[in-house]
Amino acid sequence: MTSLYDWSYWFCEAWLVPLITPLLYFQEHIMPPFSNPAGDMARWMESDPGLNILAWTIAVNVALMIGFTNVIIVVYLERKIAGRIMDRRGPMLSLNSLKEIASDLAGYAPEYTWKTTTYAGIGILQNVADGIKFFCKEIIVPDKADRLLYTIGPVIFISSSILLLVMVPFSPRIAASSAPLGLLVVMAAFSIAPIGVLTTGWACNNKYTLIGGMRSAAQLMAYEIPLLLSMAGVFLVAGSYNPMDIVAQQQGMWNVVPQFLGFIVFIVCMLAEVERVPFDLPEAEAELVEGWTTEIGGLRLGLVFAAEYIRGFVGAMIATILFLGGWSGPFLPGEIWFLLKVYGILIFFIILRWTVPRIRTDQILLLGWKRLLPLSLINLALAILYVEVF
Amino acid sequence: MAEMWIHMGPQHPMTHGLWNLRIKVNGETITDAVPELGYLHRSVEKIGERRKYFMNTTLTDRLCYASAMTWTHCYCLAAEELMGVEAPLRAKYIRTVVLELQRIASHLMWLGAYLPDLGLITGFLYGMRDREMFLNLLEIPSGGRLLYNYVKIGGVKRDLPPGFEAKAERVMQTLERRLKEYENLYDNSKIFRMRNDGVGVYSASDAINWGITGPNLRSAGVPFDLRQADSYDAYPELDFEPVTNTAAGGGSDCFSRYRQRVDEMHQSMDLVRQALAKMPEGKVMADSVPLRASGEAFRRTEDSRGEALMYLVGDGSDRPYRWKIRSPMFTTVSAAPHFLKGYKVADVPAIMGSIDMCIGETDK
Repeated sequence: MTSLYDWSYWFCEAWLVPLITPLLYFQEHIMPPFSNPAGDMARWMESDPGLNILAWTIAVNVALMIGFTNVIIVVYLERKIAGRIMDRRGPMLSLNSLKEIASDLAGYAPEYTWKTTTYAGIGILQNVADGIKFFCKEIIVPDKADRLLYTIGPVIFISSSILLLVMVPFSPRIAASSAPLGLLVVMAAFSIAPIGVLTTGWACNNKYTLIGGMRSAAQLMAYEIPLLLSMAGVFLVAGSYNPMDIVAQQQGMWNVVPQFLGFIVFIVCMLAEVERVPFDLPEAEAELVEGWTTEIGGLRLGLVFAAEYIRGFVGAMIATILFLGGWSGPFLPGEIWFLLKVYGILIFFIILRWTVPRIRTDQILLLGWKRLLPLSLINLALAILYVEVF
Repeated sequence: MAEMWIHMGPQHPMTHGLWNLRIKVNGETITDAVPELGYLHRSVEKIGERRKYFMNTTLTDRLCYASAMTWTHCYCLAAEELMGVEAPLRAKYIRTVVLELQRIASHLMWLGAYLPDLGLITGFLYGMRDREMFLNLLEIPSGGRLLYNYVKIGGVKRDLPPGFEAKAERVMQTLERRLKEYENLYDNSKIFRMRNDGVGVYSASDAINWGITGPNLRSAGVPFDLRQADSYDAYPELDFEPVTNTAAGGGSDCFSRYRQRVDEMHQSMDLVRQALAKMPEGKVMADSVPLRASGEAFRRTEDSRGEALMYLVGDGSDRPYRWKIRSPMFTTVSAAPHFLKGYKVADVPAIMGSIDMCIGETDK
C-alpha cells in the first residue's frame, strides 16, 4: 500500500469487483440476449485493463476530494483572515443561526432577537450558503456573445485547474499520479488557463472582459519565463522533474537556503500565475468591474472562483515541494508537514492580498522582464555553480 | 488593438456616484476622455426658489452626502449676509469645530473610497471605521449622522453639551494614532507609491486656469485657502497656515493629493483643538432672524472639496428670488480629460478617486 493508486487497486480487487460482479452476472441471466452487456461489463471489470481504469478513477476522485476539501478550508481561511486584517470578525454563520434563517424564510419571528446572539459560530457554513447561492442563479448568456467560445472558455479554465490537483502529490502515499516529467507537466497545465481567460474575454462581447482577457495574455508573457527559470535551478540540483526525487534530494537542507533568490522569484511569479493581488489584473474590480468574469454567472462563476483557489492551493503545493522540503519533517506524518507548509504559504498569500494595492499592466511587464528575469538567471547560474562545485 | 470607447459609468465601481466617464483607449492607454454629468440632477436651485430661506437648509444638507455640514454652512453664511444677521461668537466657534470635524469625516471617507480604487479593499474598512468615530462626534450636538441640519441662519441649532471637548480629544488622539499606522502602511508601500507617483499630473498654473480649487489646488503647491484668504466664522482668530504639497517633479500627482488630504486632517484636528480651547461663553443663536430679505449676497467657503460659493438674490419676499450654487467638483471633473490623457486604464480610478468626487454637489 504505497500510494493512492495501489490502495484503490487493492480496494477494487478485494472489495468492489467481488461485490458488484455477482450482481451483474445475475442480471445477465434475467433476459438474454438483451441483458448480455451486464455480463460483458462484469468480465471487463475483472480483466486487467478494467481493474486498472477503475482504480485510476477512484484514485483521481479521492485526490480531487482531498483537493476540494482543502479549497473550502482556504476560502474559509481567506475570509476569516481578511476579517481580522480589516478589524472585523468575518463570517459568523453557525448551525444555531439556521433556526433564525428558517424562521425568517417562513415569515415568522416569534420575538425580536439581536442577531449577534445566534450568529456566533465559526462561520464555516458561509461556504455552504455561497454554494447554494451559486446553484440557484440563472445562467445568462449575453446577447451577441459567441456562444460556443463563451461556453468553452470557463470550461478550459476550470478543467485545467482541476487537472492540476491530481498531478501534484500530497505525499508518497497520497499521490494520484507520478508522471516521469512530473512538475514540468504541471506547469504546462498551469499555463493553459490564460487561453480560457482570453477566449472568454473575447467571446462575451464586452469591453471590460476583452481588456481583462488581453491583460491575462500580457501577464502570461511577463511571468511565465522567470517562473520556469526559477524552477530550473531546483530541477538542476535534483536532476529530476519528479516531485518524489526533488523532495528526496532536500533531506539534508531545504532548497530555500541555497536558492533563496529562486524562491523569491518563484513566489512572486506564482502570485502572478494564480492571479492574486497584487497581480490580479485580469479581474481588476476597480476599473474593469469584474474583469474577464464580468459576464459569467451562476454555477459557472462559482466554479471559476473555486478553480482560482485550486490554482492558489496548487501553487503553494509546488512551492513547498520545490523549496520547502515537501513532506519531509521530524515526528509528525509527512502529510501533516506538507499541509502545514502549504498553509503557511497560503496564509502569506492571503495576508498579502489584503494589505497591498494592485499594480498596473505596464508595471507587471516591467517587473517581469527587468527584475524577475535577470534575478532568475542569476539564480540559475548560482545553481549551476552549486552543482559543479559540490 | 484599434481605438475604442469604453463607458465607465453610470453604474461602475470607479464612479463613486452616478455619472459617466467615457474614455477612448488605444490598447490600455487613454487617448481621450469625456465626462458626462447630470444623472443626479435634482434641481436644488430651482426647488430652493419656492421654499422659504430657513427651509433650504434641508436641501443644502443633501448636496453632498459626505460633507453635509459645510454646504449648509455656506448657504447660511450667504443668507445671513443677505439678511444682515450676524451669528453670536460662540455659534461661530461651534461652527468652526463642527466644520473641521466634518472635513475630517469627509477626508476619511475619501481615504476609504480611494484605496479600493487602487485595489486594496482593506483601506475602505479602515476609512469607514474611523469616519464612524467622527459621525458619532457630530451626532452629539446635531442628532444626525449623515444629514445634520445643524447650522442655522443666525447661529447653530443647539449648544455643545458638556463633556464634548473630552470626547473630541479622545477621538482625535485615536485618529492620530491610526493615521500614523496608515502612513506606515501606504506611504512606505512600494506598490502604493508605484500606483501614485507621477500619475494624473497637472501643474499649478493649469490647475488655476481650469478652476481647480481646494485640496486639489493646494496639492500642486498653491497656498490658497479660503479659510484664510476670505475668512469667516472663527477662523481669523485661529492660528494656522494653509498646508501644501507638491509632486516630486512639481505640480500635483495622485500621491501629493493623498498627502494633502492626510495633512489637512492633521491641520483640522489642530484647528478643532484651538477652537475648543478658545470657545467663549454666550448664546448660540441670533436674537431675531428676519424671514424676508432683499438685495443680493454671496459667500464662498472652503468646502472639504474646494471652493463652495452660494449666491442669493432676494426680492423682499420670504423666498429667494434666485439661488446659484458653485460646486468645486464640477469644474474639477470638467478638467479631468486634461489630466487623464496618456495614462493607463488602470489609472482612471486612481486619478478620479484622488480628486475626491462627490456627485451630489456636482449635479446639484
